Amino acid sequence: MPKLSLPTLLRHLLKLVGVAAIVAWSLVPIGLIAMSSFKADRDIFSTGSTFSFAPTLANYQALWSRWGDFFFGLWNSFLVTVGATVLAVGVSLLAGFAYSRFASKGLQASAFFLIFIRLIPPIVITLPLFPVVNWLGLNDTHFVLIVLYATFFVSLGTVVMRTFIDQIPRELDEAAMMDGASQFQIIMRVILPMAAQGMLAVSVFVIVYAWNEFLFAFIFTTTKAKTAPLVISEMIGAVEGVEWGVLFAASTVQLVPVLAFVILMQKHLVAGLTAGAVKG
Amino acid sequence: MSARTPLSAIALVSPVQLMIGGIIFLPAIYVFWLSLNQSSFGQAASFVGFANYAKVLGDAYFWKALLNTVIVVAVVVHVELLLGLGMALFFASGVPLRALLLAIVLAPYAVSEVSAVVMWRFLFEPDVGMMSRLLMSLGLPPIEWAVNPSHGLAMVSLLSIWLHLPFSFIILYAARLSIPSDLYEAAAIDGASPWISFRRITLPLLMPALLIAALFRYIFAFRLFSEVWLMTGGGPARSTEVMAVYLYLEAFRYNAFGPAAATGWLLVLASLLLALFYLRGLYREMFGKHA
Repeated sequence: MPKLSLPTLLRHLLKLVGVAAIVAWSLVPIGLIAMSSFKADRDIFSTGSTFSFAPTLANYQALWSRWGDFFFGLWNSFLVTVGATVLAVGVSLLAGFAYSRFASKGLQASAFFLIFIRLIPPIVITLPLFPVVNWLGLNDTHFVLIVLYATFFVSLGTVVMRTFIDQIPRELDEAAMMDGASQFQIIMRVILPMAAQGMLAVSVFVIVYAWNEFLFAFIFTTTKAKTAPLVISEMIGAVEGVEWGVLFAASTVQLVPVLAFVILMQKHLVAGLTAGAVKG
Repeated sequence: MSARTPLSAIALVSPVQLMIGGIIFLPAIYVFWLSLNQSSFGQAASFVGFANYAKVLGDAYFWKALLNTVIVVAVVVHVELLLGLGMALFFASGVPLRALLLAIVLAPYAVSEVSAVVMWRFLFEPDVGMMSRLLMSLGLPPIEWAVNPSHGLAMVSLLSIWLHLPFSFIILYAARLSIPSDLYEAAAIDGASPWISFRRITLPLLMPALLIAALFRYIFAFRLFSEVWLMTGGGPARSTEVMAVYLYLEAFRYNAFGPAAATGWLLVLASLLLALFYLRGLYREMFGKHA
């Protein structure tokens, strides 16, 4: 084993401190509520050790018996997330293909328009949409949220899909065209399997956004289509004072699936962010 | 490059363009029309010119909201970029268990604003929260986010930085990784100190990524709503409102669609102003010399 000099040792030590700081910053808030969701009320704010407590499922039972709304909200979140993802990925794939394979002034202008439009803050469009959605009788439906969530991600989706499709050799679609495949068949049979990476990258963004979104859900849903974040916000604002334990249980249930998903899809998230933000 | 757009290309981009045009662009234009009218729920609009803008610009709460927004955005974006840059350089210098650590850093990206508010409120709950107790044991005053407006905004900033740091970090880290390592080797051979190589190599080559990250974060931080709404509700006494909260209250609580629409357009204009440089660059890149 090589002998460690003092400066090297110091550097290693500093590095460890850095790693510890990063881990604490990212994980303490998440870990604390996940752990506290298994604590009895009296242990949640106890001044004793954070880690020594008798774990209990009481908060989850209370959540189930008193906030049935929450599980209904989770189901709504799930439906809206799936719908928005399918819609956004589908239309982004088509547009990404067009922007990758065709070039014209008109198309360039429309691409510019796509990116430019991302500058408009979502809350601004709630003003005219709210009466229209009401008038169409679409208030408090999954449909509204699906369309809104998908729309706010098709710009990024198209840019990311275009970047990925650019990497697929054109010879492949030309060969398919020789064999008499239509444009749509080329997309479905040639591009789609090879652009799966990009589609996954776009999905990660839409899924995380749709699962967590608050503003549109807050404005456009009330009972039938209200999503899990909305129910949690009702728990925070409860008049009788906040029931921390139940709140922790709900937050943990809402968080865990998407956290697992993000960790699993880490590579695609990073690839999509760099393809979308740096190049687009 | 052909001048005419093939029909099949139009067909392929039309779903995206229809969604964007119908759900974002047309409504945004309509908001401008709304901002020139006096209107409310179930009431016919009547043209008032720029009266709504005058009304908004004459409202002390609007200026308070604007000031709060500017302060929070400035703090959030700059602290975030600084932390993100530090972390990106730290990662690039080699860290143990890199893949695992990367997953840990990304974790807050998965957290909803609602859950983040629950977490940080719990940590800073007066007297009993872990951070409040830590501050007390250090002899520091507690953070009274529910009563003291500046403390409330500090909490919002902290929460916002925590939520969005993964974004800034990833952009900067990816850019740092794309800097060829022989540049650093050459600098080392020339006897450059780490500080000199940072100043002469890292910083200039990271500048484009830094600018892009800054731009995206400025624009997105400017529309800040959920964190403030869920943390303070804009209170106490409307002192922690930001622009989006002001807009929401005008429209959906006071039914003043005209002033809300005017606020909305001011938000749009501010975002455009922030993005002007980026858009100009993008336009040049896409349309070449003709721009």
